[in-house]
Amino acid sequence: MTTTTNVRMRQGLGERAMGWVFLTPSFAFMAVIALFPVLYAIGISLYRIRGFRREPVGLDNYLRVLSDSGFYNAVGNTLVFTVTSVALEFAIGMAFALIMHQAFVGRGLTRAVILVPWVIPTAVAAQVWRYMFDRNPGFVNAVLGTDINWLRDPTWTMVAIISADVWKTAPFVALLLLAGLQTIPKDYYEAAKVDGAGAVQRFSHITLPLLRPAIVVALLFRTVDALRMFDFAYVFAGYSNSVATLSVYAQRFLVADPKPGYANALSTVTFVVVMLVGLAFISRMGRHMVGDVARKERR
Amino acid sequence: MSVIARRAGAAVRTCAAGFGALVLTVAAACGEPPGGGGGTAGLADDPRFVWALTGADRQIHEAVARLWNEENPDRRVDIFFLAPTADEQRQALFQDLQSQAGGFDVLGLDVIWTGEFANFGYLESLEEFRPRIEGTSLAGAVDSAQWREELYALPYSSNGALLYYRTDLIDEPPTTWEELYETGTEAAGKAGVSAYVGQGDRYEGFVVNFLELYWSAGGELFDDAQEYSTFLEGDAAETALDFMTEAYETGFYAEGFDSMVEDDARALFQAGEAVYMRNWPYAVPLLEGEGSAVAGDFAVAPLPTFTGEGTTSALGGLNNAVSSLSDTPKLAREFVLWAATDPEAQAILADSSLPPTLTSAYDDVDDPRLELLGEVLAQAHARPPVPGYNALSLAIQDNLHPAYIGQENPAAALEDVDQAADAALEQE
Repeated sequence: MTTTTNVRMRQGLGERAMGWVFLTPSFAFMAVIALFPVLYAIGISLYRIRGFRREPVGLDNYLRVLSDSGFYNAVGNTLVFTVTSVALEFAIGMAFALIMHQAFVGRGLTRAVILVPWVIPTAVAAQVWRYMFDRNPGFVNAVLGTDINWLRDPTWTMVAIISADVWKTAPFVALLLLAGLQTIPKDYYEAAKVDGAGAVQRFSHITLPLLRPAIVVALLFRTVDALRMFDFAYVFAGYSNSVATLSVYAQRFLVADPKPGYANALSTVTFVVVMLVGLAFISRMGRHMVGDVARKERR
Repeated sequence: MSVIARRAGAAVRTCAAGFGALVLTVAAACGEPPGGGGGTAGLADDPRFVWALTGADRQIHEAVARLWNEENPDRRVDIFFLAPTADEQRQALFQDLQSQAGGFDVLGLDVIWTGEFANFGYLESLEEFRPRIEGTSLAGAVDSAQWREELYALPYSSNGALLYYRTDLIDEPPTTWEELYETGTEAAGKAGVSAYVGQGDRYEGFVVNFLELYWSAGGELFDDAQEYSTFLEGDAAETALDFMTEAYETGFYAEGFDSMVEDDARALFQAGEAVYMRNWPYAVPLLEGEGSAVAGDFAVAPLPTFTGEGTTSALGGLNNAVSSLSDTPKLAREFVLWAATDPEAQAILADSSLPPTLTSAYDDVDDPRLELLGEVLAQAHARPPVPGYNALSLAIQDNLHPAYIGQENPAAALEDVDQAADAALEQE
């Protein structure tokens, strides 16, 4: 109210204050869309719900999460998946980005081809990969000349899921890194060449440091995304504990074995884990970035 | 595909909250029945009550509803068709009930849901109708409609498993599992095909295949009052698991059995790639049809047992129950009873080869296959419809599937299932 009167008084608000005024509707909208469901889920997680019977149980659901072996199994699966897939995606994505950054004949076509997997909806890609890994007709086994039970041997299922996910998202990492590469001025490389720096030295002393912001963003996005992975695990192995991630495990108690209170406790824990990891990324690796920008602005 | 896309598209956090949000939305929509792929059949302009059931076999259920509407022009029913897959039906029904929307009066329930829905307070007791259906409906179907010796639903339709065999490779269908194993292995070796296809993937179908072996070895999951697990009593569980383990190891089960569902098995058998197949009756017309390599070269028989006596099949099908939120409970009860006991209504099912539950419907049918099915169903076992049936089924999948393909210790796996069976009974 005071803000509107201020405007009418023609005294003029500071630029910052006006900024806040304009942003308020967006923030309010975001709060309704993003914050309300989170709070609602936390609210439900404090109840034990069985059909029409609903009783408040405080933190009991959370205590049960902490003593549930299925939960730790899901945490283990999620961590294995996240660490392996993000590491591979980063390595392959970096290679793709460097290739796409080079000027050569057919560059446009190469870029388009590399990005195809990223465009396919994950659920569709998961179905296709599942079919290819299936022993009948055994496409992957035929190509590799192996006889592996990809979908029903837990270790190999994890390998299959990670491969499929790397195939799907390495292009995304490549895209982010490519954008970073294109912001690095060519002069640096020329100057380094004049000074006699080799290709490896140029990469480690120019490319990597200057690419750091893009790398942080790519790793942050991929890690947070991998921690809540659902599609591949569900399509490949259903609710089976063998490769169930945190998201699949929470879904199990929402649909297959309905205990909405417990399911919401599980998803809240997942949410907290994902948020902590995200914050850790931003605060540990991102501070330099923010610092850099701030310093530049001051100059 | 769209099912999975829809499910997978949402992050779990959103899903979790979505459960709540959906409940709110549905409640706000003034009792509009929920459900994605569903819709009312529009059978009546001014229906007095709504019957919600699977979207599979629409025409058959519509014919039943039409018959009711002809006989009861002032108390007409409309059908709300849910999705054709069981999980989605269950979810849609949950949403209608849990949100207190109460758009459905009569609920068509899969035979394994009775205990869960009853325990949640979703269903009215139908115990008063027991004298009307006991002895006239299939015994297994009646079993599947009760929880803790109280009726919460009445039988409507049924389904049972058959042994399909190749008449060009096998002279007489086997009566024991051992005989099946031996004749199958021999014939498969000679013909250069696989011996046996069935449902071995990690899903409900595998549970059913395992339980059929388990029951035919004399096993029972629970005591009569459904108060504790008797899963490990006797040696039925070991016998069944041993049979599956050996069949898998020795290649009696076809390649890929451990990821095979109904239609995978049907496709292999139809291509002439297998001697035996365990499957539901739906495969018969497909195997007889055009493009089938085995048309005229196959027959069906009851599944064998370990003793050679009788047969055992898991019972499928639907029971009808009355929602505890119904505005017209009296009418709904009357309809449920009518659908279970009216000879004309049940004859509609029989004529459309959807197995009825009224035993007299099998008496004078010309169709020899339906007659055989009547025999099979009379001896069929209901999967115990306890509240935690889904959790128990998941435990069987999680433990016994890895066990029979040699990835988990069988004794420990059986022990875990026994614990899960006890947990499935708990009423929180």
